[in-house]
Amino acid sequence: MEIDRKFLLLCAAEVLVVAVDNLILALILQVIALGAFVGDRRGYPVFVAGAILFAAVVASAGNVALIGLAAALGCGYLILTLYDYRLTRWAGGEA
Amino acid sequence: MIRPTRTSGGIAALALALAVTALLLENPAAAFAAGSLALFLLWRGWRFESDLAAAATSLEVIRTVDRTILRQGTAATVRVQINLTVPPGMDIRVRDVPPAVAVGDAPPSPPGRAVTYTIRLMAPGETSFGGVAIEAADTFFTTNLVCRRSGAPQIRVFPAGTVGDGRGRGAGSGDTEVDRRMAISGQSILGFRPYQTGDDPNLIDWKITARRDTLYVRQMTGLEGGAPLIAVDLPGRAGDPAAFARFSMAVSGAVEGAISARDGCSLLIVAGPEIVRFLPRTTEIREALAALGGLAPLEPRAPLYRAPGPAVLAARARVPRQGRGEEETAYLARLCGALSAFAGENPALFAAAVRTAFSVAEAREVRVYSLLPPGDRSHLIQLAGEAKIRGMRVVLKAPAGTGTLPGVDTVEVI
Repeated sequence: MEIDRKFLLLCAAEVLVVAVDNLILALILQVIALGAFVGDRRGYPVFVAGAILFAAVVASAGNVALIGLAAALGCGYLILTLYDYRLTRWAGGEA
Repeated sequence: MIRPTRTSGGIAALALALAVTALLLENPAAAFAAGSLALFLLWRGWRFESDLAAAATSLEVIRTVDRTILRQGTAATVRVQINLTVPPGMDIRVRDVPPAVAVGDAPPSPPGRAVTYTIRLMAPGETSFGGVAIEAADTFFTTNLVCRRSGAPQIRVFPAGTVGDGRGRGAGSGDTEVDRRMAISGQSILGFRPYQTGDDPNLIDWKITARRDTLYVRQMTGLEGGAPLIAVDLPGRAGDPAAFARFSMAVSGAVEGAISARDGCSLLIVAGPEIVRFLPRTTEIREALAALGGLAPLEPRAPLYRAPGPAVLAARARVPRQGRGEEETAYLARLCGALSAFAGENPALFAAAVRTAFSVAEAREVRVYSLLPPGDRSHLIQLAGEAKIRGMRVVLKAPAGTGTLPGVDTVEVI
């Protein structure tokens, strides 16, 4: 129930991010909203750096940046899967 | 593999909706919101994996068993305490994984809490625990990880009486058929099995059929030379240890059942074309179990890869010598020449040794226990062939779906 309430607040914050129609303001709002949503903020600066980089790409390339991000995310999830596979093998005593 | 929770599914849906909005309205803020949410999920996945790896590397298992040497089927009490570092924001529950051949499960518990549970080990031999299962979850992801690095202590299980298989001593309750030894030695019931097409209808046991609601037939003992020969084909080391434990249990049960229900049995243990042990016509259960004790998967020094006999070899040598091309014709000619040279003399040492064993055992039936792994099975074909030459009935006991061998009369699943 707690998560559901937080998720609704996140949705409201996202509406606000879209409504401001200014990338810098959107970036600040997004960082605050997700920071409040996540609770434990260990390693959060890494995400903030990624978000700033992405905001810069959107500012310079427009909506096309979404396609580039999709490709980058695909690679990221692939690396994550490989990492998970390595961990499973290590736990199984094979690596 | 990590699995997303409902929350991360909701965030992904939100990101998708924002991406559609960005493309329709050409709104850069919406594009940024969609992309940053996707990045957020990726970052959380990476965090989750890092935390899981940190927790797994800090794993420490303190496990004690009240007895490490026990008899098959008896209960053992396990006390286990699993310690690990729980990263902030992560919820972890741990569960001990009992040996593959054990009945009984450990309850999941938080790390650091000692848990006591009971297991029954159903297969003889050396066995160890399967490790520890970690169930980790945070707000965004969840996963199960089995750490197999902590299997201590080793437990040694000695064979015990066959239980509840229709001819054992019985478990003390339930549907158990007991085959008592007859006062006068003669043809008696060895056991019961489901009816198969072609079975003699006179052998149907109507009491068992009515009780189990399916047709069962009686398996009779022989009038003479009734002691069977149990041939055990040891698998290689590459196989599944749990499958070997079940196989070992089936062999022990068969030997014990044969000795307690009939006038003893003979035991022949082979690993490929090598005879590991041979125990002829024993009626001593201790002697038979001692011969079976310590059996482990064994890699044969050389596979046999041999034709069943000279006749088959001669038939193979009569293949057409004309191939499609020049090279194929030359190859076939050489192959036929080589096969013809060996067809005349076939000094099959393994077959000769098996023949001698069969003549010493004086059995009317051979029961071949094998996991039938893929690869060379020619030693088993030779064994079955020698049995058929002597007029013996050949029963193959193998796992389901592994196929059969030429010359086998009946295949039964173990």
